[in-house]
Amino acid sequence: MFLLEKLEQYAGTDRIALLYQGQSVSYRTLFRQAEAFAAYLLDRFGDDDAPVLIYGHKELVIPACMFGAIKAGHSYIPVDTTFPPERVAQILEQAVPCLTVNLTERELPAQQAIDEAALADILAKYDGKFDCVDRIADQHTVYTLFTSGTTGKPKGVQITAKNIAAFIDGVAPWFDCGLTEGVFLNEISYSFDVSVCALYYALSRGMTLYTIDKQTLNDPKALFTALRESKIDFWVSTPSLAEFCVRSEQFCEALLPNTKKFVFCGEVLTKKLASEMLTRFPHAEILNAYGPTEATVLVTAVTVDEALCSDSRSIPIGYPFANLRAVIAAPDGTELPDGQEGELLLLGDCVSPGYLHRADLNERAFFTDAKTGMRGYHTGDLCKIENGLIYYLGRMDGQVKLNGFRVELEDVESNLLRVENIARAAVVPVFEDGKTVSLTAFVCLQSPDGLSSLARAKKVKTALSAALPSYMIPRKIVAMDDFPVNTNGKVDKKALSALA
Amino acid sequence: MLDNIIDIITDISGADEGEIEAGTELFDEGILDSFGVVQLFVQLESYGVKLDVAEFDREQISTPAKIAALCE
Repeated sequence: MFLLEKLEQYAGTDRIALLYQGQSVSYRTLFRQAEAFAAYLLDRFGDDDAPVLIYGHKELVIPACMFGAIKAGHSYIPVDTTFPPERVAQILEQAVPCLTVNLTERELPAQQAIDEAALADILAKYDGKFDCVDRIADQHTVYTLFTSGTTGKPKGVQITAKNIAAFIDGVAPWFDCGLTEGVFLNEISYSFDVSVCALYYALSRGMTLYTIDKQTLNDPKALFTALRESKIDFWVSTPSLAEFCVRSEQFCEALLPNTKKFVFCGEVLTKKLASEMLTRFPHAEILNAYGPTEATVLVTAVTVDEALCSDSRSIPIGYPFANLRAVIAAPDGTELPDGQEGELLLLGDCVSPGYLHRADLNERAFFTDAKTGMRGYHTGDLCKIENGLIYYLGRMDGQVKLNGFRVELEDVESNLLRVENIARAAVVPVFEDGKTVSLTAFVCLQSPDGLSSLARAKKVKTALSAALPSYMIPRKIVAMDDFPVNTNGKVDKKALSALA
Repeated sequence: MLDNIIDIITDISGADEGEIEAGTELFDEGILDSFGVVQLFVQLESYGVKLDVAEFDREQISTPAKIAALCE
């Protein structure tokens, strides 16, 4: 695989692969650790190629575990600490990994698990012991990412080596800014596929990943100190992070003098933020990009300029990458002409083989084009194409993007129904400038609880946080006697939205 | 200013009137997260108060009273 070959190449240099909290990992160490982990997996599991689950946050050893797993012919499943153990247990049940690397202090119901200390022993014991060829092939799954599922349980999107190669080919002309080294922002959770930009694009170019963790992101002063010392050349994040940063006058070229490119993806980029970024970073290029996890990270991009910001339409999600097809389709699947609204379908080598063990969902979401044999995916995104540019108009279902994370409202609702004393639940997004900023949950109680709104919200949020990743927990919990209904007798979410 | 801050936080968090007090711990009680802080700062601007997020750590903005003191 291209990345493993590149890592081997850089392993002979003094380049730094990772920087985190004053510590660094060279390409040499990253490669040696990946080989040591691969040697251990081959020794212990032989030809069993079940996945390796990695539960942690931004620990420096995680990339070595990922690349070691694929060297040994396993796929990996990165699970961030925002996922509580109950949610990880559901993933373990579906994925049945041969090994769980648990870098947290939390207990997991995993059959075969190793902690940080055991991992360190393994890496020392197997150092220099890898003596095979890489076992990863094009059609092999490299990683499986678990995203929100409508049933209240996460679903796993499988991504192959071929999918990643297609992503790297497609994104290359957009990301190119003449850099053969430099610093790449690494703040996105490894459970979220945008982190693949850092892991596969930046590392394959010998760049240094400057890691910012959750704790730093939550502490504005620490975040700005980190940004000031980072010397970042290339920034990839959700618009939400920039939205937060522009609240400070300090967020400008003087803070990040080296940054040549800002790539925003994962949620709507508002015109307000885009023009603010153009003003504050007049010498950098600002890209808006888009892609569902099922089509491997990103599939469209556009350079944002003043003209796009002053256009009456929203900022487009971009032009499709050269190595894929993007089609706007009517409900019956027929292709619609430019300007007409319909579902965005994606076809190409970037499209995932499907969800893990979910033939029912795969049949609806994926297809193979009869004429070209290309793999296709129904994005569920309502879009239109004008002059080659794709404009995102909204979702066709109950999925929302919150700070870049994908959340199925039904997932939150079904988990709310498992909370004591909740009889009914309806979750709606709260919008500001056309972008989801938080969730509000409306609930009907089984019996009066005598609690104040804040005390009830705290109780419900605490219960939910045992079952759901933190980003899926509604900010407001509103108790009602009954839900408003629309003319079809269904819960009137529009009416609820007005109250959110 | 303190009353305005309490009103904004009450609205953002869906608390009942009077539930948020000057000394309520906003982060410990799960009332605000960093995105909530951004919303609060944005809304404070309509009262002519411009706070620079980069200047504060969480401890300095952990209660409505502390935020009000920064607005003085």
